[in-house]
Amino acid sequence: MSAATVENTAVNENPEVSVSTERFLTFSSNGLNIGVSTNYVIEIITNHIITVLPLVPDYVKGIINLRGQIIPIIDIRLRMGNPSIDYTNSTCIIVLNINSVQIGIIVDDVQQVMDIDQSQISPVPVENRQELISGMVSSSDRSVILFLDCEQLLQTY
Amino acid sequence: MDNMLEMYLYETNTLLEELDALLIEAEKNKDFTTNDVNEIFRSMHTIKGSSAMMEFSSLMEIAHHIEDLFFYIRENGLDSMDESHKNDLFSLMFQSTDALRSEVEKIENDEPLSTNIDPIIANINSFLEKISGSGNNSSDESQESEEKSESTSDAGPSSEQKIALLNQELAGAPQSDLPYFIRIFFEQGCGMEHLRAFMTITALKDVELDFKYYPEDVETNSDTIETIIENGFYIALSSQQDVERALNVIKEQNSIETYEVMENALLKQEKAEPKAQEAAASHHEEAPESSAAVSASSAQASQTQAAAQTPQTQKSTPAAPVKQSLISVNLSKLDSLVAIVGEIIIAESMVTSSPDLEGLKLDNFMKSARQLRKLNDELQDIAMSLRMVPVSGTFQKMNRIVRDMKKKLNKDVRLTIVGEHTEVDKTIVDSIGDPLMHIVRNSMDHGIEENVQDRIDAGKDPQGEIILSAAHTGSEVIITVSDDGQGMDTEKILAKAERNGILTKPAYEYSQKEILSLLMLPGFSTNEEVTEFSGRGVGMDVVKKNVESVGGTISLSSELGKGSCTTLKIPLTMAIADGMEVSVGKSMFTIPIANIRQSFKTQKGDVILDANGNEIIKCLDDFYPIIRVHDLYNIETDITTIEDGILIWVEDADKSYCLFVDDLLGEQQVVVKPLPSFLSNYNIKNSGISGCTILGNGNISLILDIKTLYAAFYNQY
Repeated sequence: MSAATVENTAVNENPEVSVSTERFLTFSSNGLNIGVSTNYVIEIITNHIITVLPLVPDYVKGIINLRGQIIPIIDIRLRMGNPSIDYTNSTCIIVLNINSVQIGIIVDDVQQVMDIDQSQISPVPVENRQELISGMVSSSDRSVILFLDCEQLLQTY
Repeated sequence: MDNMLEMYLYETNTLLEELDALLIEAEKNKDFTTNDVNEIFRSMHTIKGSSAMMEFSSLMEIAHHIEDLFFYIRENGLDSMDESHKNDLFSLMFQSTDALRSEVEKIENDEPLSTNIDPIIANINSFLEKISGSGNNSSDESQESEEKSESTSDAGPSSEQKIALLNQELAGAPQSDLPYFIRIFFEQGCGMEHLRAFMTITALKDVELDFKYYPEDVETNSDTIETIIENGFYIALSSQQDVERALNVIKEQNSIETYEVMENALLKQEKAEPKAQEAAASHHEEAPESSAAVSASSAQASQTQAAAQTPQTQKSTPAAPVKQSLISVNLSKLDSLVAIVGEIIIAESMVTSSPDLEGLKLDNFMKSARQLRKLNDELQDIAMSLRMVPVSGTFQKMNRIVRDMKKKLNKDVRLTIVGEHTEVDKTIVDSIGDPLMHIVRNSMDHGIEENVQDRIDAGKDPQGEIILSAAHTGSEVIITVSDDGQGMDTEKILAKAERNGILTKPAYEYSQKEILSLLMLPGFSTNEEVTEFSGRGVGMDVVKKNVESVGGTISLSSELGKGSCTTLKIPLTMAIADGMEVSVGKSMFTIPIANIRQSFKTQKGDVILDANGNEIIKCLDDFYPIIRVHDLYNIETDITTIEDGILIWVEDADKSYCLFVDDLLGEQQVVVKPLPSFLSNYNIKNSGISGCTILGNGNISLILDIKTLYAAFYNQY
């Protein structure tokens, strides 16, 4: 994914650019490339012990202790209705802060951080609308990145 | 600015609360004491001053007029008013404090202040005219001139020569032996000159200058306005150098029109007038003296007063060597302190129970660890005690509600407060305010009889009584609201509940206790008519929810014709608890020690199956159900036979049962952390888990809620 839009090292954005582009962290889950705005991302952690909670839907994996803070963890795969797989070395938890609610999501793999021109983001076609996805963009190498609807993530069905 | 605003709101709110308490007390006695008048005068003066500084003009205006009114009362004595005047004065004062309070609320909510405050000011003015008896006597001016003649009685008459006047003023200032003066005039008509002078003083103090100023009591005494306008405000300094530094500061102050530096002509003349000195001194002393008298006399308000008075003292006499024994602290700082103490306790057990130490014999280490433990316990106690405040503030507010409703409903009721000094956690005090208000309103509205005759016929005191009491019992605080009214008619309640369709079993099966708890179901209001105060459909169910949100319980009891009583039981603090760690499979749970009656091993033969196939066991002649935690929570474990695990007999309120777990891990003090709010989407509170805690090794243990766990168990089947 060495497309022209990818700018891993662009740190000093000038103001005109930052108005229209937003930085996204992309990850994969069940073969899909999904992006989440870095405004929401706090950190990426691996190998954390998850304390299981009883009597909750299966996608709610439990809670973790992140330096004294209790953070709920959900599995994005299960949340989107995909089958679960065993966690591997690349499996990690992305800790998000969505409207000051902290939540961790389990993803298969974290890919990269990229700047995406917001005007290029198009809505998902109605016929294949999927839960939790607010938009999509196709990058130049014809791969498609979907965008995670973080607010929806906080809501139950 | 934010800080100043916070300080302002705190101060003003405290003053208004005090004022309310004072007014209630005074109204009970149907008269003001001289102390009351002085106290109101002073509070209003402070509110006026600080509001002017913050540029809240409506507040300033109202306070200003009340101050005027009480100035008149103070000057002319209370005897100048007859009974009806006093009654009017009470309503007027309640009205005005309400107006002030609503303005303060607007500031708190960041809303624009009301611009139209004329009605209330007109009310105050017309009352002032009424008691002064002569309508043509334009009150403001006459008073101000009175003030002036009073405060400058020494200076006024002899003020022919400028120098002479200056000399006299200087004689009034103690230690006028400093060689230099700066004389400051403020812009004409800028208003509140004494406070501007005080702000200048504060600014000078900030640069650590050593100086005297005159008039001395600018901050506390508004009479000095006149003097400052007429003669200027003097700052006395000891050296040319200081003068220059001071001038730099003064140049930066707002609203200063002119200033001049002069040398002290008096210094060589050694002329002191003891008379003037005395006058100034006595004026200055009056304030603290009388306020002390007030706080001593009105023991009810003393607690809040003490807290409020300190910041004032600090402000008014910054130079005096008064030892500061109280400070006000932002609540969020205390919260983070408590949080950090919690972390320390966790970290401590992480260190002392570190797996690296296993099997080592470390005498010195253990000694130090014990010492640390002891210190941490103390730290924790202190941190928790910082958050404890007396409930008196909340209780005093009920006074006001009873008073207002008394007037509106035309019922004669007195409120008796017991144990108002009981201390509870600040968050709890805040959260019981609304529920208590609701309960008191209910008692006033539904409890106390409509007709005085009904009370007399029933052989009761014609005056109704509501008793509000608070008391500690170990780990709980118990707050009761009881009235001696008509009590609750259980049949009516039942009939109404039936009409509303909230009964879940045949009406005749309900016990007295169950009927009363119907009152706390959503959408129940026994009053047929909706009044201003109660019966709006949101009733006891909201109260119940509020109380439960702080971990408390609520219960009602009532006897028809004798009255009713509402009891709130609230844990003293929610943050740290003693718990028993148990394991189930790979999960760990914490059971609050307070809920545990006993833990024991049992044999298969002791377990009996009931008709539904649920396991029950006999403990001390009674049978209790067994709840297997691994079954309830679907946890994989090797221990499924009753002999291998352990039974813990728990109870909470009226629920008692046995929990089956794998093993006991030990007792531990745990810091209770709420579960993330996200999880409340999944109704986690109703599955028997009330929170979680972080163990020494960094793992999380879930805290079981004995009451909801039982409900979860029975909902499952």
